[in-house]
Amino acid sequence: MDKSQNAGRAGYYLYMIPGMLGFILVVLVPLIANFAISFTTWKGGNIAPRYVGIENYQRLLADTVFWSSIQHTVLFIISMTIVPILLGLVLAAVLFDYISAQFSETWSSFFRAGFYLPQILPLTAAGVLWAWILNPVGIINAVLKGIGLDFLAKNWLGDASFALWAVSAVIVWVQVGYCLVVFMSGLARVDPSLYEAAELDNASWFGRFRYITIPMLMPEIFVVALTTLIAALKVFAPIYVLTSGGPDNATTVPSYLSYYHFFTTNRVGYAAAIATLQTVMTIVLGIAFLRMQSKQEGGR
Amino acid sequence: MNMFSKLAISAGMSLLLAAGVAQAQNKTFNVWWYELPDTPQAKAWTQALGELKAKHPDVTINFEQKTFEQLQKAGSLILNSDQAPDVLEYNKGNATAGLVASQGLLTPLDDEFKSRGWDKILSDTKTQLSKYDQNGIYGSGPMIGIPAYAEFVSVFYNVDMFQANGIKVPTTLEEFEAALDAFKKKGITPLAYGTVDSNGQHLLYTLALTQADDTWVKNYQGLKAALDTKPFLFAAQKIVDWVNKGYISKDSTGLKGTGGADNLFSSGKSPMFVSGTWNNGNFATNIKNFKWSQFVFPTPKYSTGSTGSMFMVPKSAKNKDLAEEFIGLVLSKENQNAQANLGGVAIAADPAAITDEVGKRNVEIFNQISDKGGLGFYPDWPVPGYYELLIQATTGLVNGSSTPDQFVARLKKAYDDVQAAQ
Amino acid sequence: MTTTASLSTEVVSDMHVHHGQKKGFARWIVLAILLVFLAATLFPFLLAALNAIKTPADYAANGPLALPHSFDLTALQNFWTTVDFTRKLFNSILISGCTAILAVVLSLLNAYAIGIGRVRGGKALLVVLLISIMAPQEALVYPLYYMAKQIGLFDSMLAVILIFGVLHTAFGTYLLSSVLTTFPREIIEAALIDNASRWQILWKVIVPVLRPTLAVLATFFFIWTWNEFLIPLVFLVSNNNQTVSVAMGVLSGANTQDPTAIAAASLLGVTPTVIFFLIFQRTLTRGVAVGAVK
Repeated sequence: MDKSQNAGRAGYYLYMIPGMLGFILVVLVPLIANFAISFTTWKGGNIAPRYVGIENYQRLLADTVFWSSIQHTVLFIISMTIVPILLGLVLAAVLFDYISAQFSETWSSFFRAGFYLPQILPLTAAGVLWAWILNPVGIINAVLKGIGLDFLAKNWLGDASFALWAVSAVIVWVQVGYCLVVFMSGLARVDPSLYEAAELDNASWFGRFRYITIPMLMPEIFVVALTTLIAALKVFAPIYVLTSGGPDNATTVPSYLSYYHFFTTNRVGYAAAIATLQTVMTIVLGIAFLRMQSKQEGGR
Repeated sequence: MNMFSKLAISAGMSLLLAAGVAQAQNKTFNVWWYELPDTPQAKAWTQALGELKAKHPDVTINFEQKTFEQLQKAGSLILNSDQAPDVLEYNKGNATAGLVASQGLLTPLDDEFKSRGWDKILSDTKTQLSKYDQNGIYGSGPMIGIPAYAEFVSVFYNVDMFQANGIKVPTTLEEFEAALDAFKKKGITPLAYGTVDSNGQHLLYTLALTQADDTWVKNYQGLKAALDTKPFLFAAQKIVDWVNKGYISKDSTGLKGTGGADNLFSSGKSPMFVSGTWNNGNFATNIKNFKWSQFVFPTPKYSTGSTGSMFMVPKSAKNKDLAEEFIGLVLSKENQNAQANLGGVAIAADPAAITDEVGKRNVEIFNQISDKGGLGFYPDWPVPGYYELLIQATTGLVNGSSTPDQFVARLKKAYDDVQAAQ
Repeated sequence: MTTTASLSTEVVSDMHVHHGQKKGFARWIVLAILLVFLAATLFPFLLAALNAIKTPADYAANGPLALPHSFDLTALQNFWTTVDFTRKLFNSILISGCTAILAVVLSLLNAYAIGIGRVRGGKALLVVLLISIMAPQEALVYPLYYMAKQIGLFDSMLAVILIFGVLHTAFGTYLLSSVLTTFPREIIEAALIDNASRWQILWKVIVPVLRPTLAVLATFFFIWTWNEFLIPLVFLVSNNNQTVSVAMGVLSGANTQDPTAIAAASLLGVTPTVIFFLIFQRTLTRGVAVGAVK
């Protein structure tokens, strides 16, 4: 391969060729094609698409369901990004420098594995299980009625005022494990002497968490925040398996809308327009986030 | 590094092996369907495959169990590739069969229909859904699919509970509502109902059909005119009334019909369940502690129901003659009777030859509906994506987020958009 | 949110605990709280296990929460034979395994150039790469389908491996680049003085240090690919190529659903990934052992 040590930095570009080639073929070309499709009306299959200009976009901006789907996305950013990161940080810190120290490494590994399990379960299966738990005659309500709290038994997924929260709760359940595993692998990188020094200064556990753990984990926090943010903007599977966007579109999100038009109504052009807008939105937010990250890193 | 390269090499090797699995020869006959193995249809069709094998010992029969979802989502993509089988079960209706037919992905079967004598077996009412025109609308154009079973929506009822409360099988809508009321007064929620899947719209459409005449059904299903909302308004109003009176639980909006409301019926909590014949197998197997039966929802002529999904021969099929022979076997008297005796709703069975109670009852009810031309099909057929819209809208009706007027306005907007584009 | 608060107050109340000193009643409280959390987290799994061994009649009579009155493995066996689970398992392992390796290798090469090579425009390239995870999958399906058909890769596992291998690379590149930016330069300098080529440095110096992170990545990629649904659904037509997660769809037909079969399938679907994860637990525990540079 590359033996030219003095080729300067340029030589490193060679290493990016395979990755970039793959990217161009698998992501870039299809995205451009998708962008082109969004200016047509098309049923898919081998009937030729018909050019309609920006008609799809005009319709989309007038589609109230699309706008409400954007609103729901904002809530999912909280339940997929913010809450799991906070929970994950606290859990990781507790497991890493409290449970490990007070009990043993085995205990903390055991907990980590347990909390990570929901990530592993295929969402199709998770959806079925949660439907059992959350449906009106399901387990949560059976338990609530059993202990005499009938008034708390709600139609969790079937009532528009609760469905968004119920779905969010399931998403938190799925996401926490991912954050936890990344944070714990990051903590292993931290120099133990830092903690020892803090202990000598009699810093509380909380102080150590605030002044050592969080700053040291910044790279991981950024990675996790960006990826979960993107995942929140793209969230699809939990919605698909839990509510299909219901009840009465109360939980619909852009991904589900575009999927629905791609594969159900066969309005491929319209679906492509939704997907295009969604991609643009995600890229803009993603870049804004990366900017923030650069500033942060530069400031340190 | 070593570990990686070893892994990569062994993975690459196994990939080559996997790719090298015997390529199809001409003498392999490929069949797909998505009915689950324990359904009467699947059992009868497996029997037919056995007969085919006996006639052609030299042919390798390769059957693949498919998923409904995969064909529903990727059907047109698969049929448009060279991976399509020789014959497959595919869903009927404009949005599925109509779409792939209009894309020219299927083999027309008009000539075989006559030459093989299938026209003697299947009356015109049973092949309404076999033809699709250039826009993918059913009713005219080349014949591309042959149905082998049927399905319809009826009222499953708990015979013991009816007797215990002195309630008779209703024959008019008034009597039906009186029965609902009688149960409600005893503190029983009479109707098992779930709006999270198709169950919601089945009850809705069944109610709408009580107000429908031939013209309305023809226009509605064939996208012939802008939507006349009267029947739907009636149905929506009834559902809202029933929710208010407690005949239907508000919890229905969190339940599926399959894997939800059906359990309310089979566990004996609710005495009635308006749903389709696909529940028969489940109820026959799992209801042990009470007697159950079915009656047709009181209606002047039309009921929700149709012939079942159809066998189709893709354009790219390599063994069309074998595919047609297989369809012939499935339509044969023996095979149809066998299907009914397994509890299925056979489309061309001889009721006299059926011993199975459930199968006999269902074949009789189906013949009764189809002989008077009373198959009203399903509400989601005319418009692609209507299935989901109806789920959302019906849920909104039950949970009170939309009034009957808003409900029909939504239906009308989506319908008229598609209708105008015809 | 309240849960976090209660957790931290519990922990705060336990100040001045010194490392390695095991004392205090509070640690048991923390442990108990964690156990309650864990039980809540694992509850759905318990549910799947309970219902997988019931007969459908038992389920219909007593609902999902009741303890099984029957012990019956036919649901598991039926699912296994109906979908030819052995074959599906093999396919899923093959696809997920190859994807994980491909994505890790691609990520490593990219991150080497960006994080260690500090190539000009590396950051920008990283952002461009991230489009892979920003673009919704459904937007890529149609064009990819036509491309795969063109080159004869429709209905082949290779197509799925290549697609996911590339899609996951974005995340891997991002994570490894952030880790490699903190990689001690002096180690690299030392290796260069010893006349090692860049290629050798990558494999002999960096990979050994990064091994735990690479393991974390491979684990993630394997599991993500295992659970993917839409692209395998479209791209893997014949049953001989299908994956476990697509096969699970067999159970939810148009109007059929046997809850005990679904529970059985959920259990079967998750078991291989759990085993895989447990095997990798050890590497995870070691974490990312890049020494802090002072």
